[in-house]
Amino acid sequence: MYADYAYLIVALPVLAFLLCLFIGGHLPRGGGFITVLATLGAFIVSYGIFSETYPHEIVHQSMHWFAEFNVGILIDPLALVMLLMVSFVVTLIHIYGNGYMNGDPGADRYFAEAALFSASMLGLVFADNLLQLFIFWELVGLCSYLLIGFWYRKPSAAAAAKKAFLTTRVGDVLFLAGIILLYNNLASLDLALKPGEYLLQFPVIYANIAAIPGDQLTLIALGLLGGAVGKSGQFPLHVWLPDAMEGPTTVSAMIHAATMVTAGVYLVARMFPLFYAAPHGLTAVAAVGAFTALFAATMGLTAFDIKRVLAFSTVSQLGFMMAGLGVGAAVGAMAVGVSMFHLIGHSFFKALLFLCAGSVIHAVNTNDLREMGGVGKYMKWTMFTMLIGSLSLAGFPMFTGFFTKDEIILIAYEYGTMINFLPYIFLVVAAILTAIYTFRMWFSVFTGKERSNYGKHESPWVMLGPLVILAVFAAGFGVATQSEFYEYLDSNFEHYDLDFAELGIIGGHVLEEGHGAAEEDHAAAEGEHAGEEEHHLPWYIHYLPIVIAIGGILIAGLFYWDKIKKFDPSQVTGDKDPLRQTLLKGYYQHEILTGWFAETLVYGTALICNMIDIKLVDGWLNWLSSWVMGFAGHVRKVQTGIVQNYVTALVLGVVVLVVVIALAMKAMEVGLV
Amino acid sequence: MIPLELYILLASAMFTIGLYGLVTQKNGIKLMMCIELLLNSANINLVAFSASQPNVNGQVFALFSIALAAAEAGVGFAILIALYRLYGTIDLDNINAMRW
Repeated sequence: MYADYAYLIVALPVLAFLLCLFIGGHLPRGGGFITVLATLGAFIVSYGIFSETYPHEIVHQSMHWFAEFNVGILIDPLALVMLLMVSFVVTLIHIYGNGYMNGDPGADRYFAEAALFSASMLGLVFADNLLQLFIFWELVGLCSYLLIGFWYRKPSAAAAAKKAFLTTRVGDVLFLAGIILLYNNLASLDLALKPGEYLLQFPVIYANIAAIPGDQLTLIALGLLGGAVGKSGQFPLHVWLPDAMEGPTTVSAMIHAATMVTAGVYLVARMFPLFYAAPHGLTAVAAVGAFTALFAATMGLTAFDIKRVLAFSTVSQLGFMMAGLGVGAAVGAMAVGVSMFHLIGHSFFKALLFLCAGSVIHAVNTNDLREMGGVGKYMKWTMFTMLIGSLSLAGFPMFTGFFTKDEIILIAYEYGTMINFLPYIFLVVAAILTAIYTFRMWFSVFTGKERSNYGKHESPWVMLGPLVILAVFAAGFGVATQSEFYEYLDSNFEHYDLDFAELGIIGGHVLEEGHGAAEEDHAAAEGEHAGEEEHHLPWYIHYLPIVIAIGGILIAGLFYWDKIKKFDPSQVTGDKDPLRQTLLKGYYQHEILTGWFAETLVYGTALICNMIDIKLVDGWLNWLSSWVMGFAGHVRKVQTGIVQNYVTALVLGVVVLVVVIALAMKAMEVGLV
Repeated sequence: MIPLELYILLASAMFTIGLYGLVTQKNGIKLMMCIELLLNSANINLVAFSASQPNVNGQVFALFSIALAAAEAGVGFAILIALYRLYGTIDLDNINAMRW
């Protein structure tokens, strides 16, 4: 019965968007309660669908749109966990936003845009075809632009918004190219589509992957990966994410946890069969993900802005998710479950961390870690909830991050034994760094002495309430749902007409693995949990993540916690240390990307193009028009302004006409014509 | 009964005089008069043909034409008066603001 109202999941937030946009200014707090109610409604509908369909049904509705395209709703396990997470987290963020944005003159605009943001993300998730997904994908991009640049009078915010928009646009072009390629390939197959089936629908795509040539599949996969890289802030298109901090903290929380960056991972998960079948498709995903995970973690170590630390951590954790999908080359569709589990868990604790950071910033009025310290004395609730979020992010045993992240590391090891150990090594190092930078941040903020004179008060309960709820999930989600989650997600692709063994042969995975992996993939796809696979992993691989997490926290404590402080960071690396400088400047990305790439290369090319445009393209046009002008200059002398001349011309004209007509009639009489 | 040829001759003479005046004269009023000559030469033709082969259509047209000429003269003189107010002359050689 809830499935009949599935459209409400998007319709309610869209309605909230319209209401806030037009009458929000006349309501208390910019009509924020409308947005909260709308997303809450979306969550209720999603949960209703979940309770109806769990664990073995999917919802698929579709109607004709135009030509060969349709609009439709496809809610399978993969989409459903996303819908539940997005609507739940976003609702909490909106509640928090009611406190955080209180008093901002643009609150109605904020809540309108936030509602649209939620609507587009929810629409992206339950789209049943790639085209519809792409449309919502673009809407998400637009909303992120509007919200990052929410305080548009601040030049840095406007610049960050532009940067986010343009950078993700690069990925979106690749994504669109991938869609077009996929469409062309499917169209050239001359499929006999049943009524109600359309080319770009996911079930149709899944069923026909095997018929598309391998090299085309790789191209399509790379195009889609490009889109995912842009949206999910993977290297080299990650540059916009740290800058996206310019928006209100709630926006950062939404972008980083629920509504934007997860879209890229979701896309790869959604198209996982295609990536699996494409030779090198998953290798590229694994390479991008593992590299980004480590790369961003190192930058997180040195950032001083509390939100930037969290931003780099998001980039890094997204790298983990991508890598988790990428190593699916070794473990098959199980990777989707593992990666999505981290995505959901991450969105809980990252939303929590961002909202905590927002709470701290709200009270302290600075983003700079160097100016905080000792905040814990004044903000007990924020301190404890943030501790839970940090422990979860660091992967401390029994917290959500422990279950989600470590599972990725384990399957990366699996991948290592079969194909290549590089992703595993990258991820392990990144995991150590994660623990270190997370607790560097936590210790810097809440422990020690006050390093500046800041505001000392706890945030209001409208802000703390969501923190507590999120903290419960950040702590308990992993342990509570672990096995059910994997089983549920593993069953996702069973609803479709596809065979991972066959796809694996196209993708060349069977040969590389060499020990009957096809059956294993199949077994995994059928929901037999990977427990048996874990048996043959050595015991130290199992316990390594625990050691990593606790070790990382200890290292951070030795440097930054005044109770056990043994070292001063400046002893290890001086300010002039080249490595420290490199990290602090984010690997000179600004210098390379803005200074060299944008200002030298792109601007130089633009200058040359401009010259060609002026000299060549405009040149011949200007020559033509000046010739016309010159000719007209002579002809216009006919206009003497003397009436008699005109009359003469008129009479002469009539005479000529008469003569011509007379001659013509004569000729007709004689029969010449 | 006057032969038709004479009417046509008269009309042709009037038309030629009118045309000549239109092309050569510079005074606005004279131009108006020349235009009247042109119109009336046509009227003479209409009436003459109408009388020679009994058919009143031609005379009806002549009446229309006269009415038209009256209207045209009204507009024309109004323009001339406006021109005079603006330039202080109706010598058309001096009124050539619309030239190139």
